[in-house]
Amino acid sequence: MSFEYHEPTSLAEAVDLGARFGADGRFLAGGTDLIIQIRRGKLRLRHVVGLHRVPGLDGIDANGSVTLGALVTHRALERHSAFQGRLRALVEGAEVVGGHQVRNVGTVGGNIVNASPAADVTPVLLTLDTTVTCAGRGGERTLPLDGFLVGPGQTALRPGELLTGLRFSALPGRSATAFLKAGRRKAMEISVVCVAARLTLDAAGERCAEVRIALGAVAPTTRRARAAERALEGRVPTPDALRAAGRLAAAESQPISDVRASARYRTLVVETLVTRALTRCLERIRDAAS
Amino acid sequence: MTKVALTLTINGQRHEVLTEPHRTLLDVLRADLGLTGTKENCLEAECGVCTVLLDGRAVNACILLAAQCQGRQVLTIEGLGRDGQLHPLQQAFIDHGAVQCGYCIPAMILSAKAYLDEHPAPTEAHVREALAGNLCRCTGYQKIADAVLAAARELAHRR
Amino acid sequence: MADRMRVVGKSLARVDAPGKVSGTAIYAADFALPGMLCGKVLRSTLPHARITRLDVTRAAALPGVRAVITAADVPDVRYGGGLKDETAFAKDKVRYMGQPVAAVAAATPEAAEAALAAIDVVYEPLPAVLDLEAALAPGAPLIHEAWESYTAIPILHREGNVCNRARIVAGDVERGFEEADRVFEHRFRTGMVHQGYTEPRAAVASWDSSGQVTVWSNTQLPFEVQNTLAEILQMPPSKIRVVVPGVGGGFGGKLRVGVEHFAAFLARKSGRPVRVATTSEEELTAAYPRQGSIVELKTGVTKDGRITAKAGRIWLDTGAFAGSGPGVASVATLVLAGPYKIPNLYLEGFAVYTNKTNCGSFRAPSGPQANFAVESQMDIIADALDLDPLEFRLRNIVREGDEGPTGQVLNGVGLEECLLKATAAIGWKDRRPGPGRGKGLACGWWTTTGGSSGVYVKINPDGTVALNTGAAEIGTAAITGAAQVLAEELGIDLTDISVVAADTFSTPFDFGAQGSRTAFAVGNACLAAAADLKRQIFALAAGQLGVEPDALTLADKHVAADGKRLSLADVARLSQQTGGGLIAHGTFIAPPTPYDTKRVEGHVYPAFHSPSFHAHAVDLSVDPQTGEVTIHKYVVAQDVGFAINPTYIEGQIEGGVAQGLGQTLSEEIIYEGGRVLNPNLTDYKMPTTLDVPRVESILVQHPSLVGPHGAKGVGEPPNIEPPAAVANAVAAATGVRITSLPITAEKIALGLVDARAGGA
Repeated sequence: MSFEYHEPTSLAEAVDLGARFGADGRFLAGGTDLIIQIRRGKLRLRHVVGLHRVPGLDGIDANGSVTLGALVTHRALERHSAFQGRLRALVEGAEVVGGHQVRNVGTVGGNIVNASPAADVTPVLLTLDTTVTCAGRGGERTLPLDGFLVGPGQTALRPGELLTGLRFSALPGRSATAFLKAGRRKAMEISVVCVAARLTLDAAGERCAEVRIALGAVAPTTRRARAAERALEGRVPTPDALRAAGRLAAAESQPISDVRASARYRTLVVETLVTRALTRCLERIRDAAS
Repeated sequence: MTKVALTLTINGQRHEVLTEPHRTLLDVLRADLGLTGTKENCLEAECGVCTVLLDGRAVNACILLAAQCQGRQVLTIEGLGRDGQLHPLQQAFIDHGAVQCGYCIPAMILSAKAYLDEHPAPTEAHVREALAGNLCRCTGYQKIADAVLAAARELAHRR
Repeated sequence: MADRMRVVGKSLARVDAPGKVSGTAIYAADFALPGMLCGKVLRSTLPHARITRLDVTRAAALPGVRAVITAADVPDVRYGGGLKDETAFAKDKVRYMGQPVAAVAAATPEAAEAALAAIDVVYEPLPAVLDLEAALAPGAPLIHEAWESYTAIPILHREGNVCNRARIVAGDVERGFEEADRVFEHRFRTGMVHQGYTEPRAAVASWDSSGQVTVWSNTQLPFEVQNTLAEILQMPPSKIRVVVPGVGGGFGGKLRVGVEHFAAFLARKSGRPVRVATTSEEELTAAYPRQGSIVELKTGVTKDGRITAKAGRIWLDTGAFAGSGPGVASVATLVLAGPYKIPNLYLEGFAVYTNKTNCGSFRAPSGPQANFAVESQMDIIADALDLDPLEFRLRNIVREGDEGPTGQVLNGVGLEECLLKATAAIGWKDRRPGPGRGKGLACGWWTTTGGSSGVYVKINPDGTVALNTGAAEIGTAAITGAAQVLAEELGIDLTDISVVAADTFSTPFDFGAQGSRTAFAVGNACLAAAADLKRQIFALAAGQLGVEPDALTLADKHVAADGKRLSLADVARLSQQTGGGLIAHGTFIAPPTPYDTKRVEGHVYPAFHSPSFHAHAVDLSVDPQTGEVTIHKYVVAQDVGFAINPTYIEGQIEGGVAQGLGQTLSEEIIYEGGRVLNPNLTDYKMPTTLDVPRVESILVQHPSLVGPHGAKGVGEPPNIEPPAAVANAVAAATGVRITSLPITAEKIALGLVDARAGGA
C-alpha cells in the first residue's frame, strides 16, 4: 500500500496536486474509508493528498442557508447547535456512523465522495436539496448532490477534482426532518436500509407543502423516492397517506440481496421506515408548534 | 520511497520519527516506539483495540496515517497513570472485575477517558453509547460500564 | 463453611489486573525479538482444486525476502488429534479456500505481501462439496480420497465424508415411541460462528545453535502445541519450547496449532526469528470456528408431559479436516439427550467433511447447536400439550442420583433450583406481558473436562509464594481462582502469590485451558501441593518450636502451636539453609466417571464429568415490522458447585451470554460457492455495548464431589442456552418459531409477514 504523501496548505496547491496526479492520486480527508480501501487492495494509489492543512474546509456556517466544508467531521455535525431542531436528521445520521473514534475523524465530504450506497448522512443531505461545490483546474462548479452520486464508489468528480463543500437552504417553519436505519446491531452498523425524510407543511399546517424522502442501501446510490414524495405533496398527512407513501417508496426502491439482507426484507423495511420517518417528522412539527 | 519526518508528542514526550507515508500511527507506536499497550487486531476501525487519544479525542490508530498526526498530541495507555499511580479509570476496572483477557482494555479505558473528559456525569446508557466502537468479547460489557460509572463518581469526588 | 474462608469464595481482584489496565502486560501479539522477520501465509483461492503448478522462484528472489516454503520444504506428515488428516501445507490439492499453500518471511510486512503476490500457483478446479447435504449425498465427491489410510484412534466410526459417527443407544427407542401419546419431529439448522477473540493468533519462533526452537504463542494448550510441533517438525518434544506470554481471548479457537508451525519453519529456513500473526480475513476464512449444523429430533411424550423416547441426529459441518469434529460430534449426543430423564434414547452425532475451513472448538463445542434444537423443541411440545414450558421441564429434568444418558450417576444436581430461580427472577408468571413482548426459558447441562494438571509451589524467603503452573491464563481468571484455593490453604493472602505460567520447559504439565477445567484442575493440584508443603513446613517448624508436627496449624502466615509461633518466612529461610527450600509438586487427575459402555459407540466423550446445570431466562420485545429484537432482561441461574470468586464467575456468565447472543442474533460466517462472503468485522457482526443487556447472574451451589471446595467448571456453560432462550422468547412474543441460527430480524419479520399472509 505504499504511496507518496502530500500536504498542501492552500486550496490552489491542493487543486494543482489533484490535477497533476489524476487517477494516480486521491485526496485524504479523514481517511476512515480511504485507508481501509487501500489496505484491502481496492485502491492502488501512488499519491495521497492530505487535506487537513488546507484552510477553510472544516467550517460550518448556519446563518441563513447552511454551508458545510468538506472536512466537517461527523462529530462536528452531531454537536452543532443549529442541527438540534428542524435539521435533527443530520445529527441522527451522523451519530450512527461507526464509533466515536470514526466520527471524530471521518468527514462529511469524505463520506459523500466515498459514495457508499449505504451512507447514513447522504440521504439526509438529499432531503435538504443539497448542492456540492467542487474545485478543479478549470475552476469551481456547483451541482446538485442528487446528480453527483453516480454509482457505488462513483461520483461526478472529474479526475483531480476536489469536493470543497456543501450547501443547502435553511428550512422554513412547519418543517422537520428524521432519519432512521435498520441493521443487525444497534451500533457499528452499515445500514441494511436507511431512510431520511423531510416534511414541510403548508401555512395552515394541514397539508404537505414539500416532501423529501431519501433511501440508503436499496439502490446503487443513495437516492430520492420521488413517487412517494409526489404522492404526499398537497395531501393531508393522515396515517393512511403516510403508509401509502411508505408503500410507494418500497415499490420504487431497487434493492439487491447480499450478505447483509435479502431484497425482500429491504423492501419491507423501506416501507416501514419511510412511514415511521414521515410520522416522526409530523410529530416533530407538532411538538415544535405546541 | 520518500520517508516523512514527523514530530509527534506521545504521552507528553516529543518523538522525532522518520517513516514511510503509508504507515499508520499504530505501526509507529507498536513497531517503532515499542508502545504495545495500544493493541492491534482488525485494522479496519471495527474492533477499537487500537484506540488512542489524538489531541484529546478518541481515534482508531489503525486507520490514521502517522503523517496525519504531525505536530499533534497522542495519549496512549502507557501515559495515563501518573507517578506510578493508576488513573481512577484503571483502578475502577480492577475493582469492578471489568478485566478478563484484557486485550481490549487499554482502548476501552482511553475511550472512556475521552468521554468522561467531556461528560463528567454520564448515565449507563451514555457510557455504553460512548464505548460502542470498542468490542470486548470476554466481559459482556456490564462490569466495564459499572467501572466507568464508578470512575466518573471518583473523578467528580476529586474535583 | 464458606464464611470461615478468608480467600476462596471472595470477590478478590485478579492477580494479573494491574499489568492489563496499564498496558504493560505483554500478549503474544505484542511479543517481539530483535531482527525478527514478518511471516505471511499464501492461501488457496479455490475451495477444491488440484495444484498443477507451484513456483516460488520469483518470490524468493525479491528484495527483503528471507525464506519461502511450501509442502516440498517440510516433512511429509499428516497430523491431528484423534484423526491425522491434516498437513502443514496443501500438497497436491487444496480442500478449502484459505488453506495454506506456501509461507514467506521477509524484512517488512510489505515485502512479505509482495512475495506472496509473486508466488506462481495454478489450480485445476475440482467439484466442491459446499454443504452438509452435498457431503452426505450418494456419490458425493470425497474430500479425502485416501481417508481409509489415515491414522485414527480406533474408536472412531468413519465412512467417506463422515469422519466420525458417535452414538448413544439406551432402552428401546421404538418401544418408547409406541408408549408415547404424541410424537414430535423437527429439524433445526445453525450457522458457522467464530470465537471472535480480540487478539489475533500470533507466534514468534526462534532457533538456537543447539537446534532447539522456542515458540512464543497465544495458544491455550502449550503442551499440546509442543507435541503437535514435534509431529510436524519431526523433532523430539524436548527440542521444542512453547511459551505463552499472554492470551487475548481464546474461547477454544486457540487450542490447536495455527500459526506456530509456520513461524518455526520460516525461522529455521531464514535463520532469524519470525513472527506470524493472522489477519481478520484469515481468522474468518481459515481459523477453527464453531461447526454449522443440522439437527433432527423426534421426541415422544405422554399426554401428561413425560418424555418416553427421543431419537436425535446432529450433523456437524467440520470443514476440510476433522479437527475437533469427531470429539464434538460425541459431546453433541450428550447435549441432545438434554438434562432430562428419558428411558429410551437413540442419539447420533456425525462429523462431516466439506470444502470449508476446518472447524474446531468454540466455548462449549456443540452445546449451543444441540441445545438450541432440544430446548426449542421442548417449548414447541409444551405449547402443543398446553403445558407451561417450565412445568413441562420440571416433569422431566434429572435430579440428584438420577442416571445420565450413558448411565453415569448424577450428583450435585441443582437444575430444579436453577429453573425456579431463573423463572422467578424474570417474572415467568407473566410470560407475554404485552404485544410483541415475550419471555423465554432454556436449560442445559455441561461437563467439567478432565485431564491432569501439575503445579510447583515454592515458598519465597519472605513468606510469599510462587505458583508455577503449566496452564495458560486466557482471561477467565481461572488461575486467580486456583491461587485463591492455594492462598486459603497456606494461610496467606492472594496478593502474596505470584504466578509463573505456561512454559513447556519450566512449568509442570497441564492439560490446558479448555473445557472449563482450569480453576477446577489447577485448584485441586494446588490443594495437593499445599498439603505437601504443610507437611514440610510442620516438620521443620516442629523441630524449631519443640512441638509435635500434629499440633501445628498454619494460619495468618504463621505456623503455631501451644502459643508459640513461627512466620512462614522464617520457615522458608530455614528450609533454604537446611533443605533446598520449600517446594512441592502438586498434581491432579480427574477420576474417570463410570458409565455404561454398552450404550455408546464411536464415542470420544461418553460422560460429563462433574456436570454443571443451568437455566437461562430472557424477556424481550420484537419490532412487529422490522423484526428487530430488544432484550429487556436476561437472567442466568447456574449451578457452579462452589463459587471460588463470584465476581469472575459473573464475568464468565455475562461474557458467555454476550457471546451467545451474538451467535443467536447477528453472527454467521456466510459461505457461497465455497467462499466466505463476510471475511471482515464489518460484516461479521459481534455484539457491541448497545447490543448486550445487563445480565442477572444467580449462582446456585450444589457442590461437586471432585472440584476444589465443590467447584464445577463455569466458563463454557453460559454460552450454551442463549439461542434457545431467545428463540423461545421470540416465539412467545410473536408466535413465529425460528428454527435456524442466527435469529436475524429479517427471519422474524419475514416470518411475521408469512404468518399474516397464511392467517388471512
